[in-house]
Amino acid sequence: MAALDQGPALAISGLDKQYPAGLLHRARVPVLHDLSLVVPRGEIFGYLGPNGSGKTTTLKVVLGFVAADRGSITILGRAHSDRAWRYRVGYLPEHPYFYDYLTAREYLDYVGSLFGLSRHDRRERAGRLLEKVGLQRSADQALRRFSKGMVQRLGIAQALINDPELVILDEPMSGLDPLGRRLVRDLILSLKEAGKTVFFSTHILSDAEVLCDRVGLIRGGRILEVGGLDEILSLDVSHVEVLVTGIDEAALDRLPPGVRSRRSLGERWRLDADETALGRIVSALEAAGGRVISANPVRQSLEDYFFKEMVPAGEGERWTLEE
Amino acid sequence: MVAAAANTYRETVRERVLLNLVFFAILMTLSGLLLRELSIRQDEKVIKDIGLASMELFGTLIAVFIGVGLVSKEIERRSLYPLLAKPLGRGEFLLGKFFGLGFTLLVNTSVMTAGLYLTLFATGSRPGPELLGAVYPILLGLLLVVALALFFSTVTSSTLAAVCTVAMVVAGRYSDVIRNMQQISPEVPQWLVLGLYYALPNFRNFDLKTRVVYGDPVSSADLGWITLYGVAYMGLVLGVALRAFRSRELT
Repeated sequence: MAALDQGPALAISGLDKQYPAGLLHRARVPVLHDLSLVVPRGEIFGYLGPNGSGKTTTLKVVLGFVAADRGSITILGRAHSDRAWRYRVGYLPEHPYFYDYLTAREYLDYVGSLFGLSRHDRRERAGRLLEKVGLQRSADQALRRFSKGMVQRLGIAQALINDPELVILDEPMSGLDPLGRRLVRDLILSLKEAGKTVFFSTHILSDAEVLCDRVGLIRGGRILEVGGLDEILSLDVSHVEVLVTGIDEAALDRLPPGVRSRRSLGERWRLDADETALGRIVSALEAAGGRVISANPVRQSLEDYFFKEMVPAGEGERWTLEE
Repeated sequence: MVAAAANTYRETVRERVLLNLVFFAILMTLSGLLLRELSIRQDEKVIKDIGLASMELFGTLIAVFIGVGLVSKEIERRSLYPLLAKPLGRGEFLLGKFFGLGFTLLVNTSVMTAGLYLTLFATGSRPGPELLGAVYPILLGLLLVVALALFFSTVTSSTLAAVCTVAMVVAGRYSDVIRNMQQISPEVPQWLVLGLYYALPNFRNFDLKTRVVYGDPVSSADLGWITLYGVAYMGLVLGVALRAFRSRELT
């Protein structure tokens, strides 16, 4: 199907959202503040933030489950109020639940019918997607017997039933075992190869590092930064990891300043050295009879960034570290 | 909307509650065969009374206890989100639920009507189509119960929705008591009594059982008026439900 109107896959501008609070709903709790974001077509965009930072609320506003107090949204070049974009968007909610009285195949058939797909297309797509997410053997099993990971996989399949141009995934790796996580990663990459846009929220940083072209960082309902990982992490080399052998501990004590830490790995030593002092340290190591095996610059990871930027200021916010 | 309705029908027929209720409904209809032994020359009347009463009672139970969960459970379990992200409007979703459960009740009422006719034939009676003059209003009343259950289901939890729907049904069945309230408590203003009387759904309008069982004819004008009342009230309730559901934030 031809792409919808020109324009980015998703453009959010000046979004504000407050939830009512208190017994009489008179108090208002701000959840999103002047949130703006543009996701061009064809990229994998990671929406990152600690639990409670506003990731899921953003998605709920985008998909129309809750109304924004202020701001505008366009999806695939269409106004938010236009129903046309819904035909070209796929969505996986966080912790999905599907009708447990249906089988996986029946559920996909049902959601396919909401797009007006023919019976033949529904059957064909359901079969293909179930195979893609590794559920072909459980296709005719009632969903009440599905494990959490299987439900998550079905959730991804239902998000793709309409062959969407923009796929919005809320915590897609949640509840998946390492095998399932790998499968989803590959699936996201294959969507990008097929020219789709993937917008996914996560608090699992390793996923974002592996998958994303660009990321948006949100904290307390505000966008902190949007850009490529390289830009955000400033390509900073935090230190150089030097692997050396044939040297004793006494010689290491005599090394010039710049060695932050050292660790014995059997006959080898791993030194964390400042990049600026690397030349002097390597010369000193060789002069002391050591053999430098490798010297690898270590870049700041997204996790490092988050710990530095978010945790100290994030009162009440939790950052979940998961592999 | 058709897809949502078809899925709701599938959902309801796979509900254990429905199976249990249908089982008891059939059992109760058949119990007419035993009870007629206790009455003298009243066989046909007893069977009709019990058959129509079971149809109404069990239909109401199905309408209430399945109806109240149709939207609220979807919100509580969050099964609604992936559907509303697709080209399915909230209105289509709600009406799909209404027609899906409505169709289940149509099937259920039809099966029970067929069972009632069979029971009557088995006992030597020769019932005519006049019995349908009582069945049709029962079905309309059940659809109104579904509309009420759906309305409460969109604004509150399943449990509270069940309590509210049952309260409305009971109040609607005994609306005469409300109308006569002034005789018991004259201090209650008349405008309040009349306002309440006309605002509540009058389920007695749908009760033609006694007339049909005693052979009083039910004119097409009567059925037309009942249809008009039922459809208008249903439209009103569904309209309010839709408005409430559209403005509800699915947090």
